[in-house]
Amino acid sequence: MGDSQYSFSLTTFSPSGKLVQIEHALTAVGSGQTSLGIKAANGVVIATEKKLPSILVDETSVQKIQCLTPNIGVVYSGMGPDFRVLVRKSRKQAEQYHRLYKEPIPVTQLVRETAAVMQEFTQSGGVRPFGVSLLVAGFDDNGPQLYQVDPSGSYFSWKASAMGKNVSNAKTFLEKRYTDDMELDDAVHTAILTLKEGFEGQISGKNIEIGIIGTDKKFRVLTSAEIDDYLAEVE
Amino acid sequence: MSIFEYNGSALIAMVGKNCFAIASDRRLGVQLQTIATDFQRIYKVHDKLFLGLSGLATDAQTLYQRLVFRHKLYQLREERDMKPETFASLVSALLYEKRFGPYFCQPVIAGLGDGDKPFICTMDSIGAKELAKDFVVAGTASESLYGACESMFKPDMEAEELFETVSQALLSSVDRDCLSGWGGHVYVVTPTEIRERILKGRMD
Amino acid sequence: MSKAVVDLPPKGGFSFDLCRRNDMLAKKGVNPPSFRKTGTTIVGLIFQDGVILGADTRATEGPIVCDKNCEKIHYMAPNIYCCGAGTAADTEAVTDMVSSQLQLHRYHTGRESRVVTALTLLKRHLFSYQGHVQAALVLGGVDVTGPHLHTIYPHGSTDTLPYATMGSGSLAAMAVFESKYKEGLTRDEGIQLVAEAICSGIFNDLGSGSNVDICVITKGHKDYLRNHLLPNPRTYISEKGYPFPKKIEVLLTKITPLKEKVEIIEAGDAMEE
Repeated sequence: MGDSQYSFSLTTFSPSGKLVQIEHALTAVGSGQTSLGIKAANGVVIATEKKLPSILVDETSVQKIQCLTPNIGVVYSGMGPDFRVLVRKSRKQAEQYHRLYKEPIPVTQLVRETAAVMQEFTQSGGVRPFGVSLLVAGFDDNGPQLYQVDPSGSYFSWKASAMGKNVSNAKTFLEKRYTDDMELDDAVHTAILTLKEGFEGQISGKNIEIGIIGTDKKFRVLTSAEIDDYLAEVE
Repeated sequence: MSIFEYNGSALIAMVGKNCFAIASDRRLGVQLQTIATDFQRIYKVHDKLFLGLSGLATDAQTLYQRLVFRHKLYQLREERDMKPETFASLVSALLYEKRFGPYFCQPVIAGLGDGDKPFICTMDSIGAKELAKDFVVAGTASESLYGACESMFKPDMEAEELFETVSQALLSSVDRDCLSGWGGHVYVVTPTEIRERILKGRMD
Repeated sequence: MSKAVVDLPPKGGFSFDLCRRNDMLAKKGVNPPSFRKTGTTIVGLIFQDGVILGADTRATEGPIVCDKNCEKIHYMAPNIYCCGAGTAADTEAVTDMVSSQLQLHRYHTGRESRVVTALTLLKRHLFSYQGHVQAALVLGGVDVTGPHLHTIYPHGSTDTLPYATMGSGSLAAMAVFESKYKEGLTRDEGIQLVAEAICSGIFNDLGSGSNVDICVITKGHKDYLRNHLLPNPRTYISEKGYPFPKKIEVLLTKITPLKEKVEIIEAGDAMEE
C-alpha cells in the first residue's frame, strides 16, 4: 500500500495533535459487544457476548472467538469483518513462523506481529484503521498470557481486561474480583459473572461465547452445553 | 573435481553425557596448495550453540554472516537465545531457499538445548536435516570420519573422554585425506564451561 | 523506497542469486555437489478400515549411508500422512509447505482436510517446477469420503491406486504387493504385508535399508509405528569403547566458564525507595 504518490494516509494529525481516525476507531470498539479476558494461575479465559441482530439468525454460524494457533485464541470487540482480516493475517504469520523455526510462535511474537499490522493500517495510504480491539489468550513456555491490542497498534499484557460496551463497569467488577491465585475454573465463573453484570436479557449458552486454555496448551471454545453447565454452577 | 574439494575440510560433532564436542581441521587450501594452517571453520553462535561449516570457504563465511544476522535479530526480538533445534531449522530454511543455486557448504550444528540436553545435526547443501543421536561428520574427510566414529564412539562419555575420542577420530581421519589436516580445533561444551583446544597434527 | 540492502527474513519462494556463479563454476569443470537422497522404498495400501503407509529409514549421499534411521513418513494433516522419496530436502520442504497450507485451510473451513486437497496442492507445486523439485510421494489418508491412496511423481502426475510403491526399491516392494495383495485385508494382515514389502526393499535394494516405519490411518484415528521392525540391529559395537594409550598432543587449551544466567527477582523494591 502507499505505492502511488497520490495515495496518502487517511489517518492524519489534527491541529491539536490527535489522530481523530484512531479515536473514531476506538469509539467503534467502545460501542461493540462486551468482551473480556482473565488470566488465571493455570490458564486464561476469554469471553464475549454474542448478541445477534435477530432471533432468525442461526447462532451456530457465528463464531466470535477464534483459534490463531493450537495454543493461542483471540476475541474482539468492534467490527466483525475487520476481525476476520486480522485473524487471517495472524494465522498466516503464525504459520510462517512455524515453517521457519519448526516451533510454535510465542504469544508475545504473534501479538507483536498482529499489532504491527494494525499500526501499519494507521499510517498507510488508502486504508483506514481497524475498528476492532483484540484480546489474545495464549499459553506457551512463558506461562499463561493475556494481551489486548487496540486499533492504534498499541498492546499491553493484562491480568484481566474488558472492552466494548460497559468497559468501565466490567473493569471495575474485574478489579474487585481478581486475585493472583485464581484457578481457571474460578476465572471462568468470574468471566460469566462479569458478562452478566451488564447483560441485557437472559444470559445463556447461546448468547455468550467462552474460550479457555489451560496447562494442556490447547485453546478451545466451549460448546453451548458446557457454558450452560458453568452458568448452572454460577447460579 | 567437486566444489567441496576446492578448500578441503573435516568436521565432526559428537554427543557425550550432558555435553557435546565439535571439532574441525585447521587447513585452508586452494586445491592441493595450502593457504592457511589456522583457519576457523567452527563458529560460536552463543555460549551453548556452535556451528561448523564445511565446503567452499567463501560460501561458508557468507552463510555464517547471514546466520549471525538472523540470530541477532531473533535475540533482540524474542529476548532469548535460540534453541539448537530452532537454529537448525533456520539454517535449513536459509539453505533450501537457494535450492536451485545452493551455497556450497555442509553445516554441522551442535548445541545444548533445554535442560542441557545435547543436540547435534548436519545437513546437505540444500538443507536436508539429519538428526543423529551419536555423531555427525562433514567435509572432504567425511568417509574416513564415518569409519573412525563408527568404531570409536560409545554412548555417555564424560567430557574428557569425549575430547580424546573426538580428537583421535579427527586426526586419524584427516591423515587419510590430503585436503584437510594441519592439526585440529576442538570445542567440548558442558553445561558449565567451554573447553577449547588446539591439537597438534601432521604438517604434510 | 530503494530495495532494502540488508537481507530481511524472506517472504518465501526460492532465491536464484547464486545460480549464475554456480553455472560459471560448473562450466569451468568444478562439479556441483550431490544432494542427500532418500534412496528409499516407500509403499502404501488400502485395507478394510483405512490406509497403511510404510517406509524404510536409510538416507544416502551417493554410495554413502548418511542416516541410518531417518523419518520418511511426513505429517500432512491429522488424518493424512505422506511418504517421500527423492531428494531429501525437497520431500521435506514440499510436505512441510503443503501441511502448512492445509492447516490454514482447516482454520478457514473448520473441517477436516481432504486427501484430494493435499494431492492437488502437491501436484500443482511439483508441476510448476517441471520436475526440478525432485519429490516422489505416496500420499495416504482417510477423510469424509473414505480412505484414499495416491502416488505423485516429481513432474506432477498422479495416480490413484489400491496399493502403491515408490522409490528405488519400488520394484522389490511391488513384487510383494502384486503377489499377495487382496481387497479387504484386516489391519494386522495389512501391517504385515506392508512390512514385508518394505523388508523386500531393504534387503534387495541397496538404496534402502535399516528399519521399517509404518503409519496406519483409520477413520478418526492414526498410529505412527516408528521403527515397527528393526531387522538390522547394530552388532559390532564394543562395550568398553576404544582405549587410547597415547594421548593426543594439545598445543593450547582455553577454558571459558559459562556464567549462570542471573534471575533478578523483586527488582521493584529498590526502585520504590
